[in-house]
Amino acid sequence: MAEASRTGKALGQPVKRVDGVAKVTGRARYTGDFDVPGVIVGRCLRSPHPSARIVSIDTRQAKALPGVHAVLTGADVPDTLHGRLCRDVPILAKGVVRFVGDRVAAVAADSIDIAETALELIEVEYEPLPAVFTAEEAMRPGAPILHPEKIEVGAGAAGGHHAELLMYPPIPNVISRLRLGHGDAASALAGAHRVFEHSFTVPGVHQGYIEPHACVVAIGADGIIDIWAANKGPHIARAQMAPAIGVPENRLRFNPVYIGGDFGGKGSLMDLVLCYHLALAARRPIKMVMTSFEELTAGNPRHSASITLRTGLDHDAKIQAIDARIVFNGGAYAGFIPGPTLHGYSELAGTYRVPHCAIEVLRVYTNTVPRGHMRSPGAPQVQFAVESHIDMIAHEWGLDPLEFRRRNAIAEGDPTPLGEQRRHMRCRETIDAGARVFGWDKPRPPGVGRGVSIYEHPSGSSGRSTVVLTMGKDGRITILLGAPDQGAGFHTMAAQLVAEHFGLSMTEVDVVLGDTLSTGFESGAGGQRLTMTAGQAIADAAGKMKVMLAALAAERLNCAPSDVRMDADGSFSASGTIIDLKSLMDWAASRGKASLSAKGESATKPPDVTGFVAHFAEVEVDRETGQVRVRRIVTAHDIGTVINPILHQGQIEGGLVQALGQAMCEQIVLKDGAVITALLGDYKLPTIMDIPELETVLLPGGPGPAPFETAAIGEMSNVAVPAAITNAVFDAVGVRLVELPVSPERVLAGMSEKADAA
Amino acid sequence: MTPFTYLEPASLEEALALLAQHGDEAKLIAGGTGLVNMMKQRLVRPEFVIGLRALKPLADIAEHDGLRIGALATLRSLESSAAVRRAAPLLAEACHHVATVRVRSMATLGGAMAHADPNLDTPPALIALDGQIVARSRRGERKIEADRFFTGYFETVLEPDEIVTEILIPAQPAGSGTAFLKFLPATHDDYATVSVAARVALRADGSIAEARVALGASATVPVRATAVEAALAGKTSDETSFHDAAALVLRSIDPIADFRGSADYKRKMAVVHVRRALTEAAARARGPADNR
Amino acid sequence: MRSLKLTVNGTPVVREVADNRLLVDFLREDLKLTGTKESCGVGVCGACTVLLNGNPISACLALAVHADGGQVTTIEGVAEGDRLHPLQEAFLAHGGFQCGICTPGQILAAKALLEANPHPTRAEIQHWMMGNLCRCTGYYKIIESIAAAAGATGT
Repeated sequence: MAEASRTGKALGQPVKRVDGVAKVTGRARYTGDFDVPGVIVGRCLRSPHPSARIVSIDTRQAKALPGVHAVLTGADVPDTLHGRLCRDVPILAKGVVRFVGDRVAAVAADSIDIAETALELIEVEYEPLPAVFTAEEAMRPGAPILHPEKIEVGAGAAGGHHAELLMYPPIPNVISRLRLGHGDAASALAGAHRVFEHSFTVPGVHQGYIEPHACVVAIGADGIIDIWAANKGPHIARAQMAPAIGVPENRLRFNPVYIGGDFGGKGSLMDLVLCYHLALAARRPIKMVMTSFEELTAGNPRHSASITLRTGLDHDAKIQAIDARIVFNGGAYAGFIPGPTLHGYSELAGTYRVPHCAIEVLRVYTNTVPRGHMRSPGAPQVQFAVESHIDMIAHEWGLDPLEFRRRNAIAEGDPTPLGEQRRHMRCRETIDAGARVFGWDKPRPPGVGRGVSIYEHPSGSSGRSTVVLTMGKDGRITILLGAPDQGAGFHTMAAQLVAEHFGLSMTEVDVVLGDTLSTGFESGAGGQRLTMTAGQAIADAAGKMKVMLAALAAERLNCAPSDVRMDADGSFSASGTIIDLKSLMDWAASRGKASLSAKGESATKPPDVTGFVAHFAEVEVDRETGQVRVRRIVTAHDIGTVINPILHQGQIEGGLVQALGQAMCEQIVLKDGAVITALLGDYKLPTIMDIPELETVLLPGGPGPAPFETAAIGEMSNVAVPAAITNAVFDAVGVRLVELPVSPERVLAGMSEKADAA
Repeated sequence: MTPFTYLEPASLEEALALLAQHGDEAKLIAGGTGLVNMMKQRLVRPEFVIGLRALKPLADIAEHDGLRIGALATLRSLESSAAVRRAAPLLAEACHHVATVRVRSMATLGGAMAHADPNLDTPPALIALDGQIVARSRRGERKIEADRFFTGYFETVLEPDEIVTEILIPAQPAGSGTAFLKFLPATHDDYATVSVAARVALRADGSIAEARVALGASATVPVRATAVEAALAGKTSDETSFHDAAALVLRSIDPIADFRGSADYKRKMAVVHVRRALTEAAARARGPADNR
Repeated sequence: MRSLKLTVNGTPVVREVADNRLLVDFLREDLKLTGTKESCGVGVCGACTVLLNGNPISACLALAVHADGGQVTTIEGVAEGDRLHPLQEAFLAHGGFQCGICTPGQILAAKALLEANPHPTRAEIQHWMMGNLCRCTGYYKIIESIAAAAGATGT
């Protein structure tokens, strides 16, 4: 059947979100909003020590408190360890605690007040043990070992081609060591005209989702375990949870929920396994909602990192080789991320032509909060280092930082620093477009500094989607999806794509989020993959449904299916006879075929189509206080087809302000291993008054790896922004910040040092 | 929160009687933003909570030889009150900077004084305005100068049986201008790294008749910078005087290192912001009659 | 325990509550109005914003008894039946939300703003809305939505 051309009725339109009315009226229900008959609450007692042996736990008084239904300690739950790849997370601490906040006991009670009183009645005797807080300390010979036992590692611990990955190498507390590269960096550096080496430190930050982790577990008499959970990938969660509690997957039903923000942090089980055991012990459904304090101190925030880069250049300031040492602090448990390490290394310097590259990535256990994924895991840390390092080289060489980047920009046909062939390399075009709008070459107002940073990220990643389309006799299509929309717009995007495939308007499609029993595998959001992953599954389902429709139309129009043509407006014709979709379906219903259903599936790999972004920041520095004000940012994105301009721009703006937070005001501060930025009065998220003027430049018309040439945007917008800001600070006052966040005290100290040295 | 009995007296006399009766088993609640927060974190566990919200007259604002502000006036009502903006714009300005509009809708001026969080914005403003806090108990009433009211970290001179009933602000000196600076280098909803409330009264010849300077977030209590004030009396109103005087603030403050900065950084910032606040206050003193 | 008499979204409500009941729990659990959310628990994030006698307050820091005799408006009371408030329409049209968890608080705060100041400047919008945190949108479209609604509601 000949394909219809693009209609533009839904695709590319700023249509309202399909979940919009529910959200603006307060009807959308998030996990904590669900009321299950008989539900009671669960709360955890957490360790006050970063490392200790549990000598004894006395729960008698807690158990005796009226309104308490169950009290569990490590002795009351199985020895099972769970985790997304490394299975090292106990249900409750067994014998030892490994970080301040480690779960030691849990109670199920009629109310939060009773639960909190019960927790106060639990007496725990600890024997404090030596602890390590930084990756450097943890790797020293003789350091106390967090996990002396052998950790089971699931399948999927692969480094990729050209990579050497060692899980749990013989270095104290190292979870994984990854070495990879391209060419011969060591020789290239030895023979380079000039070599520069710089080191950088990036502290952890929290995903900052406004909805804390939450779960409700109800064990049904029919053997089905009903779950509501703030988890963006329920099929993945189910696959982790089933073996962790020893039941088959099809006994777990993850029910549809709205999620109040994820940003990578809601992909692990968190309290789910414990919640299940509380439900078993209490014989009641249990709701566990993490407090903000628990989230900020014992969630799964971003890894902190130390990065050292050595770059060698030739006489023309062309990069010859980069050697990178990256150390991620993974905290007390490795099980909160799905891979052996963070992927941020894979786009290291991907915007440049780098003939030789060697990267080593270490991920290390410490007695601090276990780390997880956050929007482009590992990339903001790495790119802060790269784009600062590049800027420092440019300045030391005496070259304009933009000119330096242009000179070294990767072009079509160049391999990436890791030797991969990507296509659609619009690096220079993106830089130039942004620079033009920003006015990089225009005279600076006094006291103002300017900085640039650039980033490259393939336009999708690995994942699997399953989508079922059902067309009713009225021609409406219901789209059954298997994972929640955590805010980035998955469900609306799906509706627009389906509408586009069939020439329907948005009012003729409905999105339904099913539970895990009624839907096929859906990876859900992550790694900016959904546009491609779900887009392909939708195209697959649409294609199958069109075959069915063609067959119906052929029957109706008395011709061969290959003679049927589907027009842009969704009608079918053959040899001059036309029938519209509704009439066709009506006719089919009269023949006993009331609906058509087609299942589409996809399994994607990271595409070779890549995307670029360039950020330009303008700052003002108050020379008496060191305060930095980001006045404006211009961000230029090289993009594919935009499905929904409002959703697309929303990703750009939201990611940018998250990055602004990482750059300017957010920091997880640890003292003796404990997170002390424990409430929102101390952990500062950007407010509506803290945002700069923002102008977005879009370079349209690039190919995209997904149907209709659509591409990814979610992780393009946050990664490289901090370096643009610190590069601008250097331009303004000559102070180079090699550590985030930008603190006025550090800037002021930097200015004094400069003045003293002068 | 632990359980408590909530009592809502209908009159001030009843409130004082309840307070005397229950002693330190009771806590007063006005807007509640301070107390409820502490109770939720189980930092305080009163048996009785005495709610003052039925005492409506205690929310009134009257202009009378300056201002008589009922202790239960919310910061939001003060921020937007024409009387306050006229008679003591420094207080309106300080209130405008407090936290968020939600906090300002609930928190009261009397509650802020009694709570005595050294990071608060209104106490330094009150000090710079020569404000007085009126406290009543069954034993009688007393007026306490704002700069003598705060004794320590979350501590005041209030006896356990006293309730703050009014805040008095005298008529401001002729030819005076005021300014409130809140240094917020991280986010706008943060506590101040340092805050400065300044009042400069100028003579007809332009010299400084007197100055008042008070700082928040600079010690365990809001601080009156008397050395700065003394250095300004009689001086010319210019950058040199302000610069020289501001340096003397170091004699009055003792900042605590926290997420917002080291003690040394806060000291430096106090000097900078005292100078800036004095400059601004003096400019407003010279400006048109309606000071801001 | 005490008897609370108040109006919630225009409807009179009489309930027994424990003296230490928080307003946010009273609304969400006793009245099943789950549109109001609790997140930070310390009055910073604004997810629990409700209007008490027209003023925006943090329901997570208010005792339920504090609302006795008063009028409470939650997100459920903003639309009139199926007719959305201009703010809700504007947030929908301009993308003033993504995950939606902060949205009830944003809309209530904005509603109070437009009632106090029907034509706020951009700076006034930012100052008033400063207490409502959003992690998804970056705030640009929230400002746009409120400004659009102010344009639409204006007399």
